[in-house]
Amino acid sequence: MSGITNVQSRGRPAAWQRLPPALRSGVLGVVTPLALLGLWQAACAAHVAPPHILPSPAAVAERFQMELTGGTFWLDLSASLSRMLEGFVLGSVSGLAFGLLLGLSQLGERLCGPVFLAYRQVALFAWVPLLSMWFGGGEAGKVAFVALSSFAPTVVNTWRATRAIPAPLRELAAVLTFGRLDYIRLIALPGALPGIVIGLRSALIYAWLATVGAELFLDIAPGIGGRLNEGRDKFEVDLMLVALAVLAVIGLAFSQLAAFGERRLLRWSPR
Amino acid sequence: MNQDVRSLPIQVDAVSAVPALDIDRVSKSFHVAGRRVEALCDVSLSVQAGAFVAIVGASGCGKSTLLRLILGLDTDYEGEIRLDGKRVRKPGLDRGIVFQEHRLLPWLTAEGNVAAALRRSGLPAAEQRRQVAEQLELVGLRDFARAWPAQLSGGMAQRVAIARALVNRPRFLLLDEPLGALDALTRLRLQDELARIVRHERSTAVLVTHDVDEAVFLADRIVVLQPHPGRVARVVNVNLGLHRNRSAPDFLRLRDEVLETLGVRHAAPATAAVPS
Amino acid sequence: MSRTGRRRVATLTVGLLVPTVLLVVWSAVAAKGWLPDQLLPAPAAVWRALLENAASGDLLSNTLISLQRVGEGFACGALAGLGFGALLGLSRTMRVLLDPCFLLLAQVPPLAWIPLLILVLGIDEGMKVTVIAWASFVPVVLNMAQGIRDVPAPLRELGRVLTFDPWYTLTRIVLPAAVPSIFTGLREGLANAWQTMVAAELFASSEGLGYLIAYGRQLFQLDLVLAMVVVLGVVGLLVNGVLALAEQRLLRWQALAP
Repeated sequence: MSGITNVQSRGRPAAWQRLPPALRSGVLGVVTPLALLGLWQAACAAHVAPPHILPSPAAVAERFQMELTGGTFWLDLSASLSRMLEGFVLGSVSGLAFGLLLGLSQLGERLCGPVFLAYRQVALFAWVPLLSMWFGGGEAGKVAFVALSSFAPTVVNTWRATRAIPAPLRELAAVLTFGRLDYIRLIALPGALPGIVIGLRSALIYAWLATVGAELFLDIAPGIGGRLNEGRDKFEVDLMLVALAVLAVIGLAFSQLAAFGERRLLRWSPR
Repeated sequence: MNQDVRSLPIQVDAVSAVPALDIDRVSKSFHVAGRRVEALCDVSLSVQAGAFVAIVGASGCGKSTLLRLILGLDTDYEGEIRLDGKRVRKPGLDRGIVFQEHRLLPWLTAEGNVAAALRRSGLPAAEQRRQVAEQLELVGLRDFARAWPAQLSGGMAQRVAIARALVNRPRFLLLDEPLGALDALTRLRLQDELARIVRHERSTAVLVTHDVDEAVFLADRIVVLQPHPGRVARVVNVNLGLHRNRSAPDFLRLRDEVLETLGVRHAAPATAAVPS
Repeated sequence: MSRTGRRRVATLTVGLLVPTVLLVVWSAVAAKGWLPDQLLPAPAAVWRALLENAASGDLLSNTLISLQRVGEGFACGALAGLGFGALLGLSRTMRVLLDPCFLLLAQVPPLAWIPLLILVLGIDEGMKVTVIAWASFVPVVLNMAQGIRDVPAPLRELGRVLTFDPWYTLTRIVLPAAVPSIFTGLREGLANAWQTMVAAELFASSEGLGYLIAYGRQLFQLDLVLAMVVVLGVVGLLVNGVLALAEQRLLRWQALAP
């Protein structure tokens, strides 16, 4: 009890101090966005820049509503998401298989490890022109690029994690006379799971990045990235801001989803 | 160079023709950073079926190495280790092991960890489940069958490891400082349980420990190893009966005797009770 | 030859097996004309394109321009990131105030800002350096803040027990303990800068390695595209190597420091 009175005597409002900490930081967390919004509104009111360069918050909100109700927003969103998911599944499944080959087979690692390391040195976007020539600039090329982007992070982390199974656990497998399959199923895969999950998370981030990249660089098609290009071509900043906000929200949703999946998969982990 | 120092082979239990565990003039060396380090030098030891042998010694005397050789994790050594007359070539389910760190798989529940040891047993699934439940009951963890290792205390985790080692009904139970990482109270409590469990299972037990009290409390015979290189310094028979009292004079005398062999002097003069 | 030497040669031979097979198959496919040149030029053609560009000086000048953009962007982004990350790591209030906004902005893929930045800043250097800087800023901030927050409580307690003042605590306890995390951030930041440079040059540029790739694509000169892909790989490897060397140096200095 004396602790509470102590805190109160520091001069802060007692009611504020009595709020739960989570609520307090929640309230503080919206202070900055509100301040920025106010600043933005003030800048518009003061005509700091012409409205086509700096549209007002209200104008952007209006545009968003228009996109939601009358525009092609839902079509664009589903096009982007399905493109991304297709590529992510292709890239991460093949990456998982290839990473396991490298991590579980010494011969596989010696044969294919160096080639993979060399491939990984090339910047991701350098593959865009090549893929567009091989698969075309349409849907196939875009999905191929997304798949490629999620391939490398999955491989690296799966490879490293399966290689890093501690010697005591390998020894345990020997003592329990496990065969190859038992070892993979009961020790290597679950033991590598935390690493694999990190790989899949970063593959998801790369897949999202690559989806937007493919939509910006390759043939025009429905998609959030396409709307960004449209905004630039037509000089519609409000449209671009709407698209950027949607990208942020979807990115956030993905990272929350990944964190949730990670907790479910790693329930046994002490952390 | 060690020719004159090294101990002669010791054949204590010459009762039956083929001992259950026969360690026959085993020497083992490692290469560390290009230098050859001798871990075990001409170690011989015979253990009869059903006996409980403790191997004590300072760290670096090769006592854990010896267990690894008995397990068959390492077959690159001189001499022979035979189980029931047959040379050890690889790990087998006839030997159960409890490591110092419990070495439970963190992604399996207590029950799953014990069941993992039955993967290669060839038992039908229902029988496996029954065995797992029975072992968990034996170590007193029936109510924690579904807990993850991260949710168990150190002592509980080590009990699961003991259950895992016993679930195949191994002929040999190998214990590699099984209680070394536990706090003193838990260790005492688990020593009692270990005595009970091993008696219940009637397997031949080899315990490696640096805790002399533990060795005197549990074993029928104590093998004292000397370090650099590891070799048998002395074998002490323990004739204290089934239920031992840690503060009985006989117990303390035997303990001090073993300690003295290990180079720990005591104020009280140890009476010369030469074993065997 | 020693045993380890023989093993090393064997490893090398096995490692070269797959690349050799790939190269042979590639040459065979190109020689037989199974695929048109626009889809798969011969290895020799790629090599020729590489030599031609090296001889004319185009390769060097464009590489230098790309490196300069990465250097400028990364320097700005990393410096700002270290400062901002320290702010978020050290002050609870700042974290509560700024973290949500920052995290939301960080969710947007960096290159998605390019179209907007082109409208605001134009298509010149400023736009490219800004995107590259932002791309390296984000991981540096995240790792710097996390590194500072993850400094073990016992170490901080030690500082309190020894009655260090805040500055001394920061320079002797907090920052050294956070060094590994800071370097993770810098390495990720540099990797992001490199990726974003290629993307930005591909999208809107008239110079640089990314531009050469885009140019080759427009003219259907796949040999030039592949040659530049190889160059990007090699330069990327070198840049990574330099950072790894720097890290080793700094961590050794750390080990020697009292």
